[in-house]
Amino acid sequence: MTSMHFPVYILMLLLGYAVIIPLQRKLSGKRFQLGILLVLGVTVILAILELDNVIRGSAYRYIFGSYTRGIGIEFIVDEFSALMTLIVLILAILIVIYSFKDLDHEIHPTRIKGYYTLVFLMMFSLVGMIFTNDIFNLYVFVELLSLTSVAIIAIKNTKDSIFASMKYLIMGTIGSVTVLMGSALIYMVTGHLNMTLINGEIGMVWEQYPINILLAMGFILTGFGIKAAMFPLHNWLPDAHSSAPTPSSALLSGLVVKGYVFSMAKLMYRVVGKDISTEIGITRFIIIFAVMGMIMGSVFALSQRDIKRRLAYSSVAQIGYIFMGLALATELGISSALFHVISHAFMKTALFLSAGSIIFLTGIRDVRELDGIAYEMPITMGVFAVGAMGMIGIPGTSGFMSKWYLGLAVLDAGYPELLIVILLSSFLNALYYMPIIISAYIAEHPDRSYAPEGTCSPLPMRFSMALVAVGILLIGLFPNIVMDVIQLAVPTFVNL
Amino acid sequence: MDDLFVRVITKMILPFIQLYGLYVIIHGHLSPGGAFSGGAIYASSLVLYTLAYGLEKGQKRLSHNTSAIFESGGILFFIFFGILGIVLGHSFLTNRQAGFSMGNLGQVLSGGLIPVVTFVLGIKVMSTVVTLFHNMLEEER
Amino acid sequence: MNFIIGNINYIGAMVLFVIGLYTVLTHPNLIKKIIGINIMETSIFLFFVSIGYVQGARAPLVDPGNGGQLLVNPLPSAMILTGIVVALSVSAFALSLVVRLHQLYGTIELDEIIKIRSVETDD
Repeated sequence: MTSMHFPVYILMLLLGYAVIIPLQRKLSGKRFQLGILLVLGVTVILAILELDNVIRGSAYRYIFGSYTRGIGIEFIVDEFSALMTLIVLILAILIVIYSFKDLDHEIHPTRIKGYYTLVFLMMFSLVGMIFTNDIFNLYVFVELLSLTSVAIIAIKNTKDSIFASMKYLIMGTIGSVTVLMGSALIYMVTGHLNMTLINGEIGMVWEQYPINILLAMGFILTGFGIKAAMFPLHNWLPDAHSSAPTPSSALLSGLVVKGYVFSMAKLMYRVVGKDISTEIGITRFIIIFAVMGMIMGSVFALSQRDIKRRLAYSSVAQIGYIFMGLALATELGISSALFHVISHAFMKTALFLSAGSIIFLTGIRDVRELDGIAYEMPITMGVFAVGAMGMIGIPGTSGFMSKWYLGLAVLDAGYPELLIVILLSSFLNALYYMPIIISAYIAEHPDRSYAPEGTCSPLPMRFSMALVAVGILLIGLFPNIVMDVIQLAVPTFVNL
Repeated sequence: MDDLFVRVITKMILPFIQLYGLYVIIHGHLSPGGAFSGGAIYASSLVLYTLAYGLEKGQKRLSHNTSAIFESGGILFFIFFGILGIVLGHSFLTNRQAGFSMGNLGQVLSGGLIPVVTFVLGIKVMSTVVTLFHNMLEEER
Repeated sequence: MNFIIGNINYIGAMVLFVIGLYTVLTHPNLIKKIIGINIMETSIFLFFVSIGYVQGARAPLVDPGNGGQLLVNPLPSAMILTGIVVALSVSAFALSLVVRLHQLYGTIELDEIIKIRSVETDD
């Protein structure tokens, strides 16, 4: 059974359960966790039905309050939004299963209810940001996502995490305020808040008031660049992602940063349009920053000893790939960037969850002390190896397919020198992932002390890590299930 | 604060502040104001009470359990009214077409769904601002 | 000169935005950084309100007596209400983080905190 109200049902379920969680008195373990899993499971099923509905039918628009376009808030439900919602909810449910055992060691027991409330609010704002078609509604969801993602770092009450969350909060708020200024400048000259209506008027406005549009795009690029960690503005990311609890690191690095990249793509291509963006020169700037990010992110990652900081700098490099694909302004470029959004979400989640599992059992955070750990924790190290191979780009994993598509897009758009940058960055990736895998599988292992759970991670953690790794291999071997959906969506992404 | 003047003046002026806050919330669709500003005005009365009489008496007026019920109840109310629009066959949060009575222009009970939602959200904003203040004071001790 | 007096709202908003950004970037005290963020947000509210103004119109309250009048655009005011609530939440959250930082490090000046952290990680 399908209905056009499913996006609203998903959002209301997430928001409604987020406010019911603090009302539950007895934190009696199993029933609490079962409730969370039930609600998230129902939203995953609704997302699958919605994706099926949109692929069979066509993309449609849903206006709140039965008004006409331009008076009510509008949601555009197309194939890529439904697919992205499904991926976000699947990864969220796997990370939440992982966190049932992991959180007891990382945060104080009285804060666990608050943690799950924040996760549900984060999912609500992320799904809302994916669907919306209104620039002010986008700002509201961006602010909600920003506040909850800072809170999910600060909930671990140590010195490092409070300092990192303060830095993230200040820089993130500067970013949001700048985005709001850009939206105000666009509203000032067009008089609409709905993205499609603005796109209709933008040709005429570009003739009369070019400076407004130029300033607005500059502000929006800076604002979303700070929040999505584009190269020179990425300084908050290593501290924030490495000092957070492990499920938060996975959520932040895999899902939250991609939400901002997707919103920026919407603003660049659906509001202002491809022609004006290229004419202003924004795409040239983004390519320059993306290339610098791809190289410098990997160079910084080489000099890090702490495993989570190395993974965080690796995120900066991978986000450079996504920005480069977006800035090419061709259909193949946008589709390959969106494919890499999905594949990097899976790979980074797998890497962070397995690194967290190693820290949970042995307390080791230094990459030089991981000798021979593959014989004691085979599943954990296997997941880490699959994720790392995906990052380097070994065939069979989804990372290889995304680099393949990006290479094709770069050649198609006429910039063959960028292909050299992609290959150089893959080589640098190999330089800092291979030593970890080699020393884990080949070197002799010294005696280590373990946590009271013994040498095996608890079952929920192993289960979710294994499923994420299966996802990476599935997308790698059958990329068509994702790429066809994206290629259906890109033409309507620009105008519906 | 143990000042006698502050306590006496607070006791005299508190009902007027609360009445003004309720007025701004209820007339949100007719004059400037609405849920946020009215809720903030109402909350300032409880903050003044806590400042004058101390934290224990302030928490007896609005305890943690009551504020949790207000906040969760506000959002669930809003979702309920939105889903009512879907059940009756239109989109989420429909106003006139879902059958809410519009009333006459310029009266308090007009505008369908808007006064009800404004009132519930006003109470919610009040409870949030007071909870923020109480949490910051509790952190200190 | 007429140009400046005619558009003084917009010029004031931009000047306030830059003053707020300067305050956030250069002062080491964390409370001053939070004040700088508040100044930036206030400048945006000023900018929004001055967008909605129509020359020679009244406040946007419908008078059932005589219709067909020129009214100021009410939409930016509604957007600013949401913006004010967001600014309040961010300020409250940032201030409670500052209280916690003071308990952990003993100071709220950013350069002293960085010095304490570099001493700790070198040991």
